[in-house]
Amino acid sequence: MGGRKDSMSTGYDAVEDRYIKPEKGGRTTLRLLKDILRQKREATVFGIGVMVTAIAGVLYPLSLGFAVKSIQEGNFYMLILYAALFFLFFVMQFFSNRLMNLSAVRVAQGVIKGMRDRAFERLQEVPLDFYSNVKAGYLISRIANDSETISDFLTYQLPSVISGVITIFIAAGIMFYFNAELAVYSLIVLPALGVFTLVLQTRVRSNYLRTRRALAAITGNLAETIAAIRTVKAFNVEAQTEGSFEKLNTENFKSNMIATRLTSSYGSVTRFIEAIGILLVIYEGSLSLARGAISLGILVSFILWVQQFFNPIVQLSQLYNMYQNSMVGASRIYGIMDSTPQEDSGSTDVSTFDGSIKSNEVRVVYDQNVALDKVTIEIKKGECVAIVGRTGAGKTTMTNVILKFKFPDVGDIEMDLKELTEIRTGAYRKLMVPVLQEPFLFNGTIYENIEYSKRGISKEEVLTLIERYGMSEIFRHLPKGLDSPVGEMGRNLSEGQRQAVSIMRAFVRNPEIIIMDEATAQIDARSEKMIITAMRSFARNGTLILISHRFSLITLSDRIIVLERGSVVQEGTLNELAKQDGVFKELYKRSVATYVNRA
Amino acid sequence: MGAARPQVRGKPGTFLRVLDPVLFAKPFLRKSTHVFTLVIVSGIISNFALLLVALYVGDAVSALQSGAYPLVLHFGLLIVLAYTISAVVSFAVNYGSQFISQTFAFNLRKDYVAHLVRKKFLFFETQTSGDLLSRGTQDIEATRNFILNMFSTLFPTISLIITAFVILFVISPYFSFLLALAVPALIYLGIRSSRAQRPIWRKIRETYGRLGEVLQENIVGQRVVRGLAAEKQEIEKYSRMTQEYYDENYSVARSRVTFNNLMPLVIAAVSSAIIGIGGYVDLISRADVGGLVAAVNIFSMLTFPVSFLGRMIVFSENSRAAIGRIQEIMAAENEEDVEKSLQLLSPGTLSFDHVKFSRGERVILKEVTFKVLPGEFIGITGKTGAGKTSLVNLITRYYEPDSGKISFGDRDTKEIPLSLLRSRISIVPQEIILLSGTIRDNILFGFEVGEERLREVSRIASISDFIESLPAKYDTLVGERGITLSGGQRQRIAIARAILRNPLILILDDATSSVDPDTEIAIFENLKESMKDAIILMVSLRESALSFANKVLIVDAGELRDDYGGEEGLNVNRL
Repeated sequence: MGGRKDSMSTGYDAVEDRYIKPEKGGRTTLRLLKDILRQKREATVFGIGVMVTAIAGVLYPLSLGFAVKSIQEGNFYMLILYAALFFLFFVMQFFSNRLMNLSAVRVAQGVIKGMRDRAFERLQEVPLDFYSNVKAGYLISRIANDSETISDFLTYQLPSVISGVITIFIAAGIMFYFNAELAVYSLIVLPALGVFTLVLQTRVRSNYLRTRRALAAITGNLAETIAAIRTVKAFNVEAQTEGSFEKLNTENFKSNMIATRLTSSYGSVTRFIEAIGILLVIYEGSLSLARGAISLGILVSFILWVQQFFNPIVQLSQLYNMYQNSMVGASRIYGIMDSTPQEDSGSTDVSTFDGSIKSNEVRVVYDQNVALDKVTIEIKKGECVAIVGRTGAGKTTMTNVILKFKFPDVGDIEMDLKELTEIRTGAYRKLMVPVLQEPFLFNGTIYENIEYSKRGISKEEVLTLIERYGMSEIFRHLPKGLDSPVGEMGRNLSEGQRQAVSIMRAFVRNPEIIIMDEATAQIDARSEKMIITAMRSFARNGTLILISHRFSLITLSDRIIVLERGSVVQEGTLNELAKQDGVFKELYKRSVATYVNRA
Repeated sequence: MGAARPQVRGKPGTFLRVLDPVLFAKPFLRKSTHVFTLVIVSGIISNFALLLVALYVGDAVSALQSGAYPLVLHFGLLIVLAYTISAVVSFAVNYGSQFISQTFAFNLRKDYVAHLVRKKFLFFETQTSGDLLSRGTQDIEATRNFILNMFSTLFPTISLIITAFVILFVISPYFSFLLALAVPALIYLGIRSSRAQRPIWRKIRETYGRLGEVLQENIVGQRVVRGLAAEKQEIEKYSRMTQEYYDENYSVARSRVTFNNLMPLVIAAVSSAIIGIGGYVDLISRADVGGLVAAVNIFSMLTFPVSFLGRMIVFSENSRAAIGRIQEIMAAENEEDVEKSLQLLSPGTLSFDHVKFSRGERVILKEVTFKVLPGEFIGITGKTGAGKTSLVNLITRYYEPDSGKISFGDRDTKEIPLSLLRSRISIVPQEIILLSGTIRDNILFGFEVGEERLREVSRIASISDFIESLPAKYDTLVGERGITLSGGQRQRIAIARAILRNPLILILDDATSSVDPDTEIAIFENLKESMKDAIILMVSLRESALSFANKVLIVDAGELRDDYGGEEGLNVNRL
């Protein structure tokens, strides 16, 4: 079996689990318990509800027993009294169950709301590297789906098991009170059942893990197919895709049926044990009755009690899967909550940018690749600096460092002579707006996306700004103008339009510094010209850091820094660099030639 | 917000719609009718045996009452026998209902994927990927769960009630009459309960969907969120939504909990009446109490399953909503034929003849006519949103033109089987998706070639040096979305993947935008040399790239111009 288990592992989620470090099993349960108990009021109400339910549950068989006794004694009034009591206990149970269920919902919903909120908060604080190791799909299925499993467990399974177990204890107490000997006979099957359950546990557990892995494999496979659907179609590999899915689908079916075989036999054996239990009670009961140790009525109550035991016990056996399911989920959510946040070492507040941003001997290493090495540059207020270089030269790393997305491994960055590590990140980022390589838009309208960056800005103001920066042309084709929905990930818009929105998002903030990271890569020449004009008018008062391949944009800059393999190799104005032999000239051979000729 | 999800239609009052999922499940269970029968018959037998236990317990009590101890032993053994029968048969019920539900899910999932991969391109532009995934996983699971519970719980409970009715009738017709009174009350409660819950469940599902969307956007857009220092704003938004979710769940719980607990109360009321009335009769007639004990026992056996009935309504609600969403995918609309074809395609001329294409109201291409000969390297450029991508997507029939004709080698592309067309025309799109697996898997992508060819295409795409520099070379694993590779590296792998199939037309849709200009030109030179008979179409905005093309087509407001370099004022060295 061991060998097959390995071949089943698909590796789905494995990378994340290594990175996130889910909370350990025992600690997860403890933490969940703490989260539950934190809802003091609800947990208390739940406890009261459970007790009342259990007591009422034990008392109604007793009232039947007394009713039987009254019949035997021919006491009509007592019979009616006990019949009414019998009903009363159910009415009591109705209210206590209601209370118990409602508080369970409150506890469960409270727990998962807390988990979701805290996990979400933490996601805003983790270093950005986190997201290159953990897929969005992983996080979503943990925070959205796994927490539902936990909520189901806390709402349905756990309460009925708790009340079942408490019922057993209270019933056992009453049974001993009435007749200790008969009570022992009634309860004797419980240990047998317990041992039997324990013996099966390991098999149940391995079966369970198998089914869980199989389902995860299906989910992973489907997620990938959907993500890659365009490629699947482009290369006409639909049939292969179906084939690989079918394999996992079959595996899932098989593993579920194997697991069911065991749980179904468990149910059958339990029922058989129940029969033995009742037989024992009747046997010993009839002996006691013959001795006159108990009344017939009490014997009837005993029989009902024994039967009452089994429903919660059968449930208890099914509880394991649910428990495991939700514990795995919880351990991962706790893992997300425990991810190390990026330390915001800084406490100094800044509200203006007056002098310069400077990097001193900065070195950044990703895995074992040196992305930046001994980079020392300075960008003064009001300057427009272009950072250029080949793919992989370290340009984007440079923006990440400036944006405080990434801390240098060696060296430091200073703004206005204050070390970046000492400046509060929130305050620092308020000074600048990045326009990133891949413009990300939220599902909503264009206006909503722009308003995101400056709360409360009116449509008119946005339109004026678009006009002023000469970008109305880009949005002209859209039928609903600013109210056009951008679709998921901005898919309704073209790459260029998306980038234009992302640039507008920067402009409405009127920030001190704009950092553009290849933001015009996909924009056509005319739109780009408009953007360049806009950038120029921004650059008159603001500071502009441009990362670009595109020569046309570079012409905007006062100064150019050329990176090569993580190091600064050239620095100077466009005129200076155009005349020097070096990386810059190599990169822009044709463009430089035209530029120089024109100049 | 998002795509509106159609609800399961139908008059709100028709309670039997609770069983809608059964109708839906039927075609997926065609071959398991025997299991079906087995489960139902076993359910009846198992319940009958279980209720016999109650009867025998009653008989045993009567025997005890009259002091007939040998009879007690007799009934005791009968009890064990009945239990054993019930135990054995209940295995069939549990195993069989799981078998049915898993068979259902297996077949449904298979069909789901088959439909999904056959959907047309446009379909995926209207759907969110998270939604498609959750339909294929959670929605199918929700429906399976209902089917499972229907066979393992609902049918047995119904048969339990019917059997109980019969056995009670044997004990005393009055008792069965009382049960008959309880049944309409239970049904009434069921109807009320499902009516009260339905609208709230609908809301809960919507909120849940939005929670997922907000989370996904936040994660994918982290750099923007942080770049704009909007973390607090996001946390507040999310917390407001989780609160909404909490409130809705609580409000549905209030009606659920009331009705669910009223059901066992109805059963209890009937048992109390039996104790009172039955007891009175026994008392006067001095009869034994066995029948009474048996009857009350039968009712207490009903209490637990009946209290579970309420949850079936929740399961049904969830699965009906799920089915509505699954059916949207399973409908045969928007599908295309992707079956493999034995036909062949040879190099030829690509021509657009008065092609018009629009999306909804918006005309993308007005009337496009052009011709490309084998061996030509054509650049396509134009303003943002001018329709460049639409134009190339028409060639592989990702989109269909409104009018006009696109032909390749004198054949209308409409008449060329899709599989053939797409296997010989490779498109490298703007957005590159790499699958989790090795670099080799990603380049081969289901195609079998020798090691030599793999290296060759990598060299052409200027990615072989990089791959060779990795410790595991072609066997290096890449993340699900190729996260560990840079944009330029991903693009080059995608190009290698495309040329591996020796396409007759290679379309690079801004596929080198993240590659630096030098490497870009190197790739073009390699392509030109190695694919002499093929047509290469390159959509680009970069002047350096366009300058490499034999000819440049400009898409402008849905029309073509080939006067590149004129009005745009860009310098192009025509080769």
